[in-house]
Amino acid sequence: MNAHASGGSPVTWPQLYHTTPTAILARAEQHDRWFKHSELNALSNFFRSGAKRIEIALTLAQAAKAIVSAGAERIFFGGSPMAFLESPPNRDQLPGYTALPQQRSTLLQERLNLQLPKSGNPVGWLTGFVRAQLLENRDPLPSGFRPIHVARYGAVRMKRSMRDLDWFLRYITYAILADHPSILSANVRGLRGVIPEDVTEATVVAIKDMRWKALSYFKQDAEATAIIQAYFDALVTEYLVEKPPIRLRQGVSNDQQGLQLPESYALSATPRPKFVLKPGLSVAEQQEAIQAAYRQVFERNITRAYGWQLHELESKVRSGEISTKEFIRQLGKSRLYRKEFYEPFVISRVIELAVCHFLGRGLSSIEEFRDYFDLISKGGLSALIDALVDSQEYSDYFGEETVPYLRGLGQEAQECRNWGPQLDLFRFNTITRRVPQFITLFGDYQQPLPNQHSYGLTNDPLEIQFGAIFPHSDQQHTERPAPLSKDHQRILIQVGTENGSGNVAPQRIIKFDRLALKNGFNGSRSHQGASLSLSKHSSTAVIQAAYRQVFGRDVFAGQQLITAEMKLKSGEITMREFVRLLAKSREFRRLYWDSLYITKAIEYIHRRLLGRPTHGRQEMGHYYDLCARKGFYALIDELMDSDEYLDVFGEDTVPYERYITPRGYALRSRNSLSNQQLSQQATTPMNPENLLFGNGNAWASMMQVARNGQFQSLSDKATSQAMGSQSSLAMNRSVDAQLPDMKTQLQRTVENSQPLNAETPERLEQVVTES
Amino acid sequence: MSVITRSIATADREARYLSAGELDAIRDYFESAPKRLRIAATLTANEQLIVERGSQRFWERCPITPSNSGNPTYRASCLRDQSWYIRLITYALAVGDIDPIEKTGIKGAREMYLSLGIPLRNLVECMRCLKEVALDLLSPDEAIAVAPYFDYLIQGLMP
Repeated sequence: MNAHASGGSPVTWPQLYHTTPTAILARAEQHDRWFKHSELNALSNFFRSGAKRIEIALTLAQAAKAIVSAGAERIFFGGSPMAFLESPPNRDQLPGYTALPQQRSTLLQERLNLQLPKSGNPVGWLTGFVRAQLLENRDPLPSGFRPIHVARYGAVRMKRSMRDLDWFLRYITYAILADHPSILSANVRGLRGVIPEDVTEATVVAIKDMRWKALSYFKQDAEATAIIQAYFDALVTEYLVEKPPIRLRQGVSNDQQGLQLPESYALSATPRPKFVLKPGLSVAEQQEAIQAAYRQVFERNITRAYGWQLHELESKVRSGEISTKEFIRQLGKSRLYRKEFYEPFVISRVIELAVCHFLGRGLSSIEEFRDYFDLISKGGLSALIDALVDSQEYSDYFGEETVPYLRGLGQEAQECRNWGPQLDLFRFNTITRRVPQFITLFGDYQQPLPNQHSYGLTNDPLEIQFGAIFPHSDQQHTERPAPLSKDHQRILIQVGTENGSGNVAPQRIIKFDRLALKNGFNGSRSHQGASLSLSKHSSTAVIQAAYRQVFGRDVFAGQQLITAEMKLKSGEITMREFVRLLAKSREFRRLYWDSLYITKAIEYIHRRLLGRPTHGRQEMGHYYDLCARKGFYALIDELMDSDEYLDVFGEDTVPYERYITPRGYALRSRNSLSNQQLSQQATTPMNPENLLFGNGNAWASMMQVARNGQFQSLSDKATSQAMGSQSSLAMNRSVDAQLPDMKTQLQRTVENSQPLNAETPERLEQVVTES
Repeated sequence: MSVITRSIATADREARYLSAGELDAIRDYFESAPKRLRIAATLTANEQLIVERGSQRFWERCPITPSNSGNPTYRASCLRDQSWYIRLITYALAVGDIDPIEKTGIKGAREMYLSLGIPLRNLVECMRCLKEVALDLLSPDEAIAVAPYFDYLIQGLMP
């Protein structure tokens, strides 16, 4: 399916891992309750042990090299593995960075010791190896373990191995600080499938040796030893777990895109407990699950808000008379659900909300929507609920006993084409949105792409805000950006062609004819002062045309580039070079570069020099890149040296506008109707007058017409009365204000109609003054 | 995002161990925590009282408001929301960060109350009452620590 619209992409901050506070907080939020006493105690323990954990993290970070090297020395031989550990780039100068304080002298001694066996001499290494095995109480090597030879292993793999060992230690320090192993499980589980299998055993050996080394700094400290031990063990356990399978989303429509959720996403996401309601649970657990069902179906805890409880249903589900599935179905058919989620909404929105409540997701496609729409129009709300609860998807995900839950981020792979509406649907304030979101989006899929710049929204009525988004309170611009891809090109209209033949009208092409100019100069020398002729191809006219094209206007007296003009006139440079000099001038830079944002600058410069708007993202992307790397002058050179410029304008022709956008064309044309339509498309009118009469102009002109009509009828009336008799007139008060106007009009009418009657004007004068 | 999460994210992006400065910041965070937890515990224990007194004071100041119109559902919803906001404050205190308030208390809340026909001015006034009542229960020292959280909430709901 080719998507012609986008549901927007709200920013999300998925939880990457947990610390103890976030984990406790997430649980409390899930259960919609206050912190329990035990949780507050856990938090307080976490903060109390903080100093100890900072101390451990600091020590491990300072001793990182020694620890990593201890692990590496154990599994590699025949070289110095530490030589392959690339130190991170120097960050001392970065803002906000304070280096760790240097470790004290004891470590220096150890480092020296460690460097001893690095001679590469096998005998030396062997003695060191044997001594290490014998002297320290390390973990014994697994039977049949053979150390890896550095040279045979290869430099590339060595580098990777060393990097990984350092990486493991780094994550251990993070996890110790966070006091939660989730950062390890999210990042390490499944690594076995990434790091080659043949070194799995060696990796574990190295990690265990790093643990031994790390523990050696805390020999007297039981608490620290326990913490370090725990996290290294967690690391080894996670590492040894098989690579978990990718979670697949079971879908409804045939055209689904990339619906796989990597396990690490699921692991690091906020845990959502699945509530199961079945006989045999304790009363408290049952109560919790029932509350969860209320929260899912009614989006809130109804007992508290309404003091409303379905006692009969609850007791039935408690006693096991009906299953959870039936309970959910009855909730859906209850009066409260009808009142809250059916009566206030249009049918499309009812369907969206119901799919969210009973299947835990947003609508997937318009086909699905049509099916549900059909159901609800024939059988009403209860038919829709039955269909949802009886669907295959419901039983696949929730079965008979599980309470439905929202299948949001981290819980399941999300469809990217419905991304925005789906995320909006799961927000707590979703019930306040009355406009159906999914169906509007599906509707937009059917529409052609809007006529707009490839960047930015469609709120650009004057074509001067390329790529910029200036939300304005009066303008209702769409939240949904058009999904213009890199392959989309704007359709441009060629301007100034000769009777639609496709050829450029000859009067638009202004050529700088070097030969003719030379003759002209000779000629002008003979007739003094005649060189200021403004005929079409005279040098002055051509230069003026060049200024007009490049700057968009005639330049002021002091701004001309006299030297460049002289060079051009003398034939030293061609027209193309002249234009290049103009474009590189300070004035041009000030006008079109310094004060504009980059997209607008590029767009303007492109129109000035190449005579057409940019086509699309591919083109713009290239220019962005150029501007970022090389800057303004490189952009000018790129345009001036492009094949397009040479093909179209060559060396001598002054650039001219070749193409414009359809909206630009409409803006210029005299046909105000199409103009109005375009501007209405761009900005939805918010003014009630505009809603009634299209836009303000129409309203104003209509008022004008009405006023004229009134005058006309009044003057007619006055004339007839004046002509008919001299009886006094009871004229409307409102006419008084218009008297002077009326007088002149009357006179004119009377003069035209009865030129022979000379007395009439005076009489009329009388009548008018009397009244 | 608490200071721990933030520092780890930064350090991880740059592939380095936590720097001394970051560890100091985390230490400060740990040291300020017991007071915050104490406040959270006090608020948790006195939830009923705060909501009761807060709503009384609120109805004295804004007698014409949906929750005071005699409709029991409106009244119950108002009390529920007050308790919910106090709970958000305790959440924020526990992690030492305004993130929970921002995420579920402010973003979209204004639109929600507008669509429910609740005047935001009254809502803000109600939050102010809650703040005053809650601060009365705490020692001056603790009150200074918790006031910014309430202020943030009030600022965020301001019409």
